[in-house]
Formats: sequence, C-alpha cells, structure tokens
Amino acid sequence: MNLAVKTQGLRKEFALGWFRGRLLAVEGLDMEVRKGEVFGLLGPNGSGKSTAMKMILGLLRPTGGRAEVCGYRAGTIAARRQIGFLPENPYFPNFLSGVELVRYYGRLSGMGGRKLELRIEELMELVRLGGEAGKRPLRTYSKGMLQRAGLAGAMVGDPEVLMLDEPTAGVDPAGSREIRDLILELKERGKTVIFSSHLLEQVEDVADRVIILHRGKKLREGRLEDLLAKKSEWQIRVQGLEEAGRKELREWLEKRGVQIMAESAPRERLEDYFLRSLPEEIQR
Amino acid sequence: MIGCLRRVLAVAGNTFLEAVRQKVFAVLLLFGLVMVGGANYFTEFSYQEQFKFLKDLGYASIGLTGLLIGLLGAAQLIPGEIEKRTILTALCRPLRRWEFIWGKYLGLLCLLSLMVGIMAVAVWGVLHWKESQLIASEGSDPAVADLIRAEARDPRMLQAVLLVGVKLAVVAAMAVFFSTIATSTTFVIAMTLLVYLIGHLQSVAREQWMESGEATRWVVKSFLVLVSLLIPDFNLYNLIDEIVAGNVVHWKSTLEVAGYSMVYIFILLGAATLTFEGRDI
Repeated sequence: MNLAVKTQGLRKEFALGWFRGRLLAVEGLDMEVRKGEVFGLLGPNGSGKSTAMKMILGLLRPTGGRAEVCGYRAGTIAARRQIGFLPENPYFPNFLSGVELVRYYGRLSGMGGRKLELRIEELMELVRLGGEAGKRPLRTYSKGMLQRAGLAGAMVGDPEVLMLDEPTAGVDPAGSREIRDLILELKERGKTVIFSSHLLEQVEDVADRVIILHRGKKLREGRLEDLLAKKSEWQIRVQGLEEAGRKELREWLEKRGVQIMAESAPRERLEDYFLRSLPEEIQR
Repeated sequence: MIGCLRRVLAVAGNTFLEAVRQKVFAVLLLFGLVMVGGANYFTEFSYQEQFKFLKDLGYASIGLTGLLIGLLGAAQLIPGEIEKRTILTALCRPLRRWEFIWGKYLGLLCLLSLMVGIMAVAVWGVLHWKESQLIASEGSDPAVADLIRAEARDPRMLQAVLLVGVKLAVVAAMAVFFSTIATSTTFVIAMTLLVYLIGHLQSVAREQWMESGEATRWVVKSFLVLVSLLIPDFNLYNLIDEIVAGNVVHWKSTLEVAGYSMVYIFILLGAATLTFEGRDI
C-alpha cells in the first residue's frame, strides 16, 4: 500500500518535573494515512492530536513506537522534506511580510534564486495574497490571512504531505470556507492532507477518513461513509412532489410496513446562507 | 552543501532582521553613541588625559552596549522563539538543529559586528574632532601638534576594537548555549551574566587560593582546574586597558586572545548543539 504516514505503537510521555510524575499524552497509536487522501484527526482538547502531529513532524521524540513519513523515519531530514506544517495558531515571525515569510520558509527548505521567487509568486496567488497584500507586515493581517500565508509557507517546498493543526480555528466563515476550498484543491493536486479540527461539520465536508482520539488512545478509525452511514435507514431527496403525491407516497410506504422517521423540506446550511448574504467580493 | 549554507544564512538573516526591526536595539545603540559623544565634553584635563579618557570611555561604551545587545538578542534567540512558538514552523522544515543554532549565532554576531562597527566609527570621529579642537587651542608648537595627532590616530584602536569584538562574541556564544537549555529569557540573561562575572573574577580567586595554600588540597585544585576549563578567563581581554594606558601590546598577543576566544566559541556552540539536539519542542 502507498502510505504517506504510518505510525506503529506511537507513545509519548512527558516528565512533569521533579517528584511530579509523568503524563501520558499518546498511547500506542497505530495509524495509516494513504497518499492523496484527506485525513482528519479528531478528539477533544488534550486527546493527543497535536502531540501525535509533533512526533510525526520530528519536533517531539516518541517515548516508544515509531512514525514514518513516505517511508522515511519521522524526524529525519528526508522525512521533513516530504512534509509541510501549519500550526494551530498563526505562530509566525510578525516582523516579516507575507512574501518574506514564504521566502524565509523556502530558504529553510534549501530553496533559493529564481525558482524560489516563482514558487512564492505562484503560492501567493493560490492563497489569494498576491500583489500588495503579500507585501504588508504579518502583524496587520487578519487571522484568516495569517492562516493562508502560513499555508503558502507550508507548501513552499512542494511537500507530499501537509499537516494542518486546527486550520480554521478562530477564522470567520468566509476565511474558513477559503481554507476548506484550499484543502480540496490540494487533494485535487494529489497531496495528502492530515488535519485536526474541532469543527466537525467541516471535517465531514473534506475528510476521506478520520481517526478519533481520546486521552491519547485511538477510539475509532475509518472512512466517513462507513462510520456515519445508518445502514438500516434510507433517504431520498426529491423535487416537485405536491401534497397529494406526498400523501400517496406515505400510504404506499405504510402499506409496506415502513416506519417514517422524519419528513421535512430540506434546509440550506447556515454557513452557505451566511456566505450567500455577504457582498460578492467577500464571497470570492 | 549549498542547501546547508542557504539554511544557515536564512536563519542568520532572519535573526538579524528581527533584531534591527526592534526599537530596543536602536535605543541601546543611541545610548552607547551618547556615552561616546558625551565624553568629548570633559575638557578640564591635559590633552593626554583627555584622549585616555575618551578611549577608555569609548571602548567601555562599546563593551557595555554590546553586552546589553548581545544578552537581549541571545535571550530572544531560542526561549523567545519557543515562547512565541515560531520555532515550530522553522524546525519542522528540513533544517538540522545545528544549522538553526549556528544560524542564530551568526545572526547575533552580524548584529554585534554592526553595532561595534558603528560605535567604533563614532569613537574614531570623536577622537578626530578632539584632535582638531586641541590642535587649534594648544598645537601652536609643532612638537605638541604631532603628539596630539599621535594620540588621536593611535593605530592600536584597531586592536582594542578587535578585542572588544571577540569578547562580545564569546559572551554571545555563552548566551546561545544557555538559551538551548533555558525555558525563559530571564534564565538566559541571569546565567550569562553570572558566568561573565565568574569569568572576570576567576583569575583573582585562583591567585588568592594559591597564595593561601588552599590550592594544595586536591579537591580545591580540581575545582580550580574545572572552573578555569569551563569558564573563559575574561581578564585576558584586559589588554584593552594596556592599550588605553598607552603601553605596547603586540599583535601576536591580540591574535592569541582571539584564538583563545575562537576555541571557546566552538566549544560553547558544540555544547549548545548537543543539548538542543535532544530537546523536545
């Protein structure tokens, strides 16, 4: 199987200081993420999502077990070449401009010269920070703009895997939609995206598979269709069926001993309605 | 190799840029320049004493301002990045930890070099201004005018500035080492200052112990050897005082001190790399 990330028995304990014992943050995590899929890491605060991500990134050393990125041991230079990271909050050097940030990250990835400048231009356009916006200092950016600049920075080395820690936390619905669209665009480009989020609706929109963590342990893992489908129920959405037709349909179903659980006109999602209500330039 | 150099230079450039975009460093530099410039207004001494005073205060100003800038800069290097969490987005890249440490040190060194350079030019300018003032007031006698010129255009200034520079480079390396084990900026500043003081006092303490006969006991002897190995002897840089006093200091001695400093810089940065390598971020 073509795996982007694989962990086996991954474990992390933190020493809490002298005579204060140890904290178990991640316990025996087995996880496989295939290349090209969007993978959601779910769990309440303190469930070990960020710790697991940091071990995959090589920022934390596992107490036990192992992690691999595209076949390379996590933390090695070869593994870090394959991975881009967007942290939970926009932790970027705020004295830089958007373009300078991406250039800095590009140079840290060993890039330089004309190739890097072209890549920066391409990425700033992709995250809609081209032109003057990219030249402004990061401290003047909104949270959504910061996340988009960070995403450009994560992508500068053209990594195979992107890890996004709560990418839409604190971002307004329009910014959040933009980030979601970017994730889908990355998937179309064949990239693997691993992200954590508390906003489960958004996870549902973009993730192919998810893993649910609780107190450092894996509770569930699987494809969203498999995890969420209610196999004993069936749902049909129709258009143009008048009241007489509905009544006939109900009778037909009752004759077959089917129990009608719910029946209503579908509602638009609040997020879609909200975004549709905004002026056009913000919707874009 | 080019990629490695690029990464070190990227970290160095970013460190330097961050420092020069902060007001606190400009204020410190201004404070140093005011100290140098202010020394010019002490005119009640003889011309020899005036030059000695100007040089003494000039080099001391460079040293003090450099120490403050170095401490503040180094304190922000790693604990500051950990506090702001900007280190996460840097170290998750294909960047080796030693490249990060050396890049940080190089950036700090660039900042200190710029500061020492600006202040040395200021000292040089003040000495030349004083030369023109004194020649106008006291230089009717060509012999006196020559002596004033010799005092103002003392080539040993280069040696003094080099010694101040390498001393600051050692202090910066010490601060970088402490920043790799520290969890707060206060710890880095406090530890570096403490070791700086011990470095100044260790030779005096050693002499005292030798004279009192205490050093014959193996425990004391081992302790003294350990301290003198671990902590640089900052009294070696007192050659600057000899230069200010007008005594001859050979370039060989200056270069020996520079070499001694380089050895400590490499040891400190090596130790910093080793401790930082295994650190969880």
